[in-house]
Amino acid sequence: MAAFTYAPAIVLLPFVSFLVALFAGDRMPKGGALAGITATGGSLLLSIWVALTVAGGSVHNEILYQWTTSVESLQLNFGLLLDPLSALMLLIVCLISFLVHIFSLGYMNDEGETGLPRYYAGLGLFTASMLGFVVANNLLMAFMFFELVGLCSYLLIGFWFREDGPPSAAKKAFLVTRFGDYFFLIGVVGIFATFGTGLFAPITEGGEVVAESFPMLAEHAIVDGEVEGIAMLETVGMGPQAWFTVLGLLVLGGVIGKSAQFPLHTWLPDAMEGPTPVSALIHAATMVAAGVYLVARMYGFYAISPTALAVIALVGGFTALFAATMGLVKQEIKQVLAYSTISQYGYMMLALGSGGYIAAVFHLTTHAVFKALLFLGAGSVIIAMHHNENMWDMGGLKDRMPVTYWTFLAGSLALAGIVPFAGFWSKDEVLYEALIHGFGTEGGLGTAYLAAYAMGLLAVFFTGFYTFRMVYLTFHGDARSDTARDPEPVHWNVKGPLTVLGILATTIGFINMAPVAKLTGAHIDFLHKWLTGPEEGGWPALLSTDLHHYEELLHEVPHVDPAYPLGGEIGTLLASAAVSLGLALAGVLVARSLYGGADPVEHTDKLGGLKTLLMHNYYQDEYQVWLATGVTHPLARAMDKFDQGVVDGVVNGVSSVSLFGGSRIRRIQSGVVSNYATLLTLGLVLLLAAFGIMGGWF
Amino acid sequence: MWVAALLLVTLLGTGVVFLSPDKYAGKLAAAISVIPALGSLYMYWVYLTQYGGTGNALLSPADIAFSQQIPWLTLGELEVSYFVGLDGISMPLLALTTVLTTLAIVSAWTPIDERQSQFYGLMLFMEVSLIGVFSALDFFLWFVFWEGVLIPMYLLIGVWGGPRRKYAAIKFFVYTNVASLVMFAGLFALVFSTDLTSLSLPAMAEAFRTASGLPTIAGVNLMTISFILMFFGFAVKVPVFPLHTWLPDAHVEAPTPVSVMLAGVLLKMGTYALLRFNFTMLADTARQLAVPLAIIGVVSVIYGAMLALAQRDLKRIVAYSSISSMGYVILGLVAFTPYGMGGATFQMIAHGLISGLMFMCVGVIYNTTHTRMVGDMSGLADRMPWTVGIFVAAAFGYMGLPLMAGFAGEYFIFQGSFDAPTLGGAAPVLTSLAMFGIVIVAGYLLWAMQRTLFGAFSLETDYEVGPAALHDVAPLAVLLLLVIALGVAPDISFGMITDSISPVLELGGGA
Repeated sequence: MAAFTYAPAIVLLPFVSFLVALFAGDRMPKGGALAGITATGGSLLLSIWVALTVAGGSVHNEILYQWTTSVESLQLNFGLLLDPLSALMLLIVCLISFLVHIFSLGYMNDEGETGLPRYYAGLGLFTASMLGFVVANNLLMAFMFFELVGLCSYLLIGFWFREDGPPSAAKKAFLVTRFGDYFFLIGVVGIFATFGTGLFAPITEGGEVVAESFPMLAEHAIVDGEVEGIAMLETVGMGPQAWFTVLGLLVLGGVIGKSAQFPLHTWLPDAMEGPTPVSALIHAATMVAAGVYLVARMYGFYAISPTALAVIALVGGFTALFAATMGLVKQEIKQVLAYSTISQYGYMMLALGSGGYIAAVFHLTTHAVFKALLFLGAGSVIIAMHHNENMWDMGGLKDRMPVTYWTFLAGSLALAGIVPFAGFWSKDEVLYEALIHGFGTEGGLGTAYLAAYAMGLLAVFFTGFYTFRMVYLTFHGDARSDTARDPEPVHWNVKGPLTVLGILATTIGFINMAPVAKLTGAHIDFLHKWLTGPEEGGWPALLSTDLHHYEELLHEVPHVDPAYPLGGEIGTLLASAAVSLGLALAGVLVARSLYGGADPVEHTDKLGGLKTLLMHNYYQDEYQVWLATGVTHPLARAMDKFDQGVVDGVVNGVSSVSLFGGSRIRRIQSGVVSNYATLLTLGLVLLLAAFGIMGGWF
Repeated sequence: MWVAALLLVTLLGTGVVFLSPDKYAGKLAAAISVIPALGSLYMYWVYLTQYGGTGNALLSPADIAFSQQIPWLTLGELEVSYFVGLDGISMPLLALTTVLTTLAIVSAWTPIDERQSQFYGLMLFMEVSLIGVFSALDFFLWFVFWEGVLIPMYLLIGVWGGPRRKYAAIKFFVYTNVASLVMFAGLFALVFSTDLTSLSLPAMAEAFRTASGLPTIAGVNLMTISFILMFFGFAVKVPVFPLHTWLPDAHVEAPTPVSVMLAGVLLKMGTYALLRFNFTMLADTARQLAVPLAIIGVVSVIYGAMLALAQRDLKRIVAYSSISSMGYVILGLVAFTPYGMGGATFQMIAHGLISGLMFMCVGVIYNTTHTRMVGDMSGLADRMPWTVGIFVAAAFGYMGLPLMAGFAGEYFIFQGSFDAPTLGGAAPVLTSLAMFGIVIVAGYLLWAMQRTLFGAFSLETDYEVGPAALHDVAPLAVLLLLVIALGVAPDISFGMITDSISPVLELGGGA
C-alpha cells in the first residue's frame, strides 16, 4: 500500500520542521512558523491518505527500524501500527497541530513575542513525538515517545522562561508525569520480561502470525491456559491473572500521570502558564490524550483483568467529578478549562474501565475538537483582553468579537453535553455504557461501575454549570473593564482555526449517533463500524484490535455484560440520554440564573468553607509540595549530614591518626607540589625503561 | 602494533607538550591528542566492520583484536609480558578515553591560565595510562598503568584545583592507593595459591576458573575472600556506597576539564576492572554473591541521588549523581544476563559521555559566572542561550530521556536485571527500587535548572555576562551529538559489547 510506504513521513515532517525552525528560524519570515505549517499540513494530507487506505480495509503492522538486535532473544524495534484507531488519532493530532500552528501566527507573531524559533521548534518536536507515539507498534517505542512528549511539554510550558511561574510549572509537569512514568517503565520492562515482546498487535505474513503480541499471549494464557511462553510467573510467585493485573496497573501509572487523573492531576492546571496555543494542542487535545490512547491501544490486555478495569473506571469516574467541582469556583478562564480537561479525561477513563471502548475513543475525538476550540477561543479572548485572563474583568465581549463568541458557544454547548453538539453524543454514550455494564456485571466490578457511573452523572450537572458560568462571565452582561469595552481585534489567523473547529464541534458528533441508529435502525454509527471492521476476516482477523474481539474478551474473562434495567434497550437508552441531558441543562440554567444578568456578582461565598476547599483544590497541591519540600528535601539533607559526618567522618578519623606521623616527615619536603610534576613523571618513565631493559625488550 | 603506536605517540606528545611554551601548550596538546583519538576511532571502525563476533579477550584469547605480546621479564616463576589487545568491552572504552581527552583539553583553554605546559602534559600522560589500562592484558603491565593514572590525577587536582585542593588531592590519592593495596593482596593471595606460570589476564582467568582445593580461612573459601578484597579495591574507584566520600571533594576541587576525565573515564576503570577481574575471572563467586552485591548497587543509586538532592553546588550535584549512575552498572553486572552485563558496559560509555558533558556545561557556566552555587545566579538562559540549550539537553540525557545514550544504558540494565536468574525472586524488587533513581534525578536536575538557568537574569558581577566562546561550546556540541547518536543507534557499541559479554555468561551457570 503506497500510503503506508509514505506513512513514516507523517512523523518525520514535523521533526524536520523542528530542525529547520531551531537552526534557521531566526532567518526565516514568521520565525519558522511557515516550516511548521507546511510540515503539519503535509502530515495532515498523508494522514488523510492513510485513513482512506485504512477505510479501504488495509492495515499495516511492520518493523521499521531495529533499535537493537544485539541480544537475539529479545530484540527491540521501532515499528508502525496503522489500524483504524491509530489512523483516527493521526487525523486528530495532525489537524489540531496544523490549526494551532496557524493560530500561533495570531497569538505569538502578531503579539510581537521573541524566541519564536524556539517556540515553533518546540511545536514541531512535540508534533513529531506525539505522532511517533500514536503509530508505535510496541510498548517500548510508545514509552520512548511518551517521554519525548513530556520533554516537549516541559519546554513549551516553560517557554516564557524569564518569568518565575512558567519554569516552575514546567518542572512540576515533568516531575509529576515522571513519577507516573516510573511505574510505566517498570510495566514496560516487566511486560518485555514476561512475554518477550511488546507488540500491541501480531505481525503477520501471508496470514501466518510471525510475531505474536503481548495482549494475545496474555489472552491465550488466561482464556486457554497456555502459559508455556510466559516467563516471570515463577520469579514473582503469582498466577498469570494476578501478575498481568500488576503489569497492567503499573502501565496505568503512566496513563494517570499523562492524562492528569487523580492523584497525579495537579500538574495540568499549572501547565496553563504556557502559551495558550500550547495549552490547546498539548494540554487539552493531544498529549493528555496519550494516556487514554495507550489504554485503548492495549485494550486487549486490560480487558482480561477485572481489577484493572475496576480501577480504571473508578479513577475515571472520581476524577470526572472531583475536577468538575474544582472548576466551579475558578476565576481565570484557562483554569476553568484546565479543570474541565481533567474532568473530561476522567469520562474517557470511565468509559474504558466499564467496557465502553467505542465510547472512549468517541469522546476522545469529540473532546479533542471542542476542547482545542475552547482553548483557542480563550486565546482569542486573551489577545483581546491584553493577556488578562480574569473572567471578572471581562463581560460583554459577545458583540465585540462575534466569531469568537459563536464558535466558543458551540464548544461550550459541546462540552456541557447539549444536544446536538458533539459532546452530547459522546458523553451520553460513555454514561450509557457504564450504566448498562454496571447493571449487567456481577459482583464487585458491577458495583464499581455503578459507583463510577453515579460520579460521572453528577459531574454532568457541574460541567454544565461551570461551562456556562464561564460563557456568561466572559461574553454576556456589561463589560467590567476598559479593555473589555475596547478589546484588541483579532485577525484571520485566529478566526480561521476557530471557524473550522466551531463547525467540527457542532457536527463531529454525527459520526456516531448511536442512539439515533438504535432508534431508527439506520446504519449511521460510523465510528462503531470504523472500529469494528468487517464481520468476517479483514483487519480484525489480522490484528485482533477490533471491538468484537474486545467485547468477547470482556464477556469471557471479567464477565462484563450489558443489562437494560429501564424497559429494555431502547427504554434504557432514552432514559440515560434524558437524565444526562436534563442534568446538563439544569447546570446551564443554574449558571444562567446566577451569572446571566447584566452585572453578575460572585456567588461562591455562599459555599462557605467549601469555597476555601475548592479554591485550594482540596489541598492536593499543598500535600504534594509538602511531600517534596517537607519530607524528601529534609530527608536528603539529613542523609547529607550523615554522609558528611558519619561516613566521611570515619574516613577522616582514620586518616588523621595515620597522617599524624606523616605530618612530621612531610616537613622535609619543600612544599611546592607542582614542581615535582615533571620529576614524578620522569621517575615513572625511568622505571618503565629500567624494566624494559631488564626484560631485554629494546 | 596499533595499541603500541597509540601509547608511543601519546607518550611522545606528553614530552613535547611538557617542553613547549605555556602560550601554545593548549593548542599543541589538542592537536596531538587528535592523533590517538582518530587512531582509536579508526580502530573502532575496523573492529566494527571486520571483527564481528569476536569473543572476550580473557576467555577466548585466540581471537583478540589488535593484540601484541612480547615476553618481558620473569618474576620468580611468573612470566610477565608486554601483552595488549582489545575486545568489544575495551574497544568502546578506549575510544571514549581518547575522544574525551581531546574534548577535555579543548575545554581547558579558557579556565587554565597558569603552568599550561605542565597541565596539558599531565593530561596527555593520563591519557597514556588510561589507554594502557583498557588495552593491557598482562596484570603487571595493567597494574603499572592503573597506578600510573593516579599520579597525573593527583597533581592535576593538587596544583590546579580549588581552595581545598590539597585535602582533596591527598584524600583521592590515599583512598585509591589503599584500595589498590587491598585489591593487590586479594589477587595475589589467589595467584600464589594456584599454579600460575604467567601473569597474563587470560592465563589468570583460566587458572582461577579451574582452581580447586583452595584453602579456607575461618570457614570461608579463599576465593570468596579474594573476591571481597578485590571488590573493595575496585569499588572505591567506581565508587559505591560507603566508599564514595573522596569523589565529591575531588570533583569540587578539581578544575573542570579534570572533572570531565575523572567522571567520564576514571570511574569506569573501577567498573571495567570489576567486570574483568571479579565478574569474569571469579564469575562463580560473583553469582553466589549476586544479591548482596545488587543491594550495594541499589543503595548506591538511591543514596547518591538523595545526596545530590541536598547539594547547592552544581558540581557536587553531578558528582553525587555519578555515584547514582554507577550503581546501575553494579546492578547490571550482577545480573549475568546479556542485557544486564551488556547494558552495564554500555552504561559505562553512556555515562562517560553524559557526565563529561554535564561537567563541561557546568565548567562553561563557571568560566563566565565564577560561581557554581545554585542560588547565586538565575536566568542564565537569557545571556548564554546556546550553552543553556545544550545544558538542558544534557540534563535530560542524564535523566534518561529516550533516544539519548543514558536511556539505552539504563533500560538495558533494567531489562537485564528484572528477571536475572542470579537474583531470583529479589530481581524484580531490586530492579524496581533502583528504577526510582530516574524520578529523583529528574527532581534535582530540574530544580537546579529552574533556579540557575531560568527566571529573571541576576548575577552580581562587574563585567558583562555574555555567550561563551565557540571553542567552549564546540566540545559540548560534539558530546551531545555522540550521546544522541548512541541513543538512537545503540548497536554502534552494544553489538560488540554483547559479543564479548556472551563468553562471560557462558561460564558456569550460563545465561
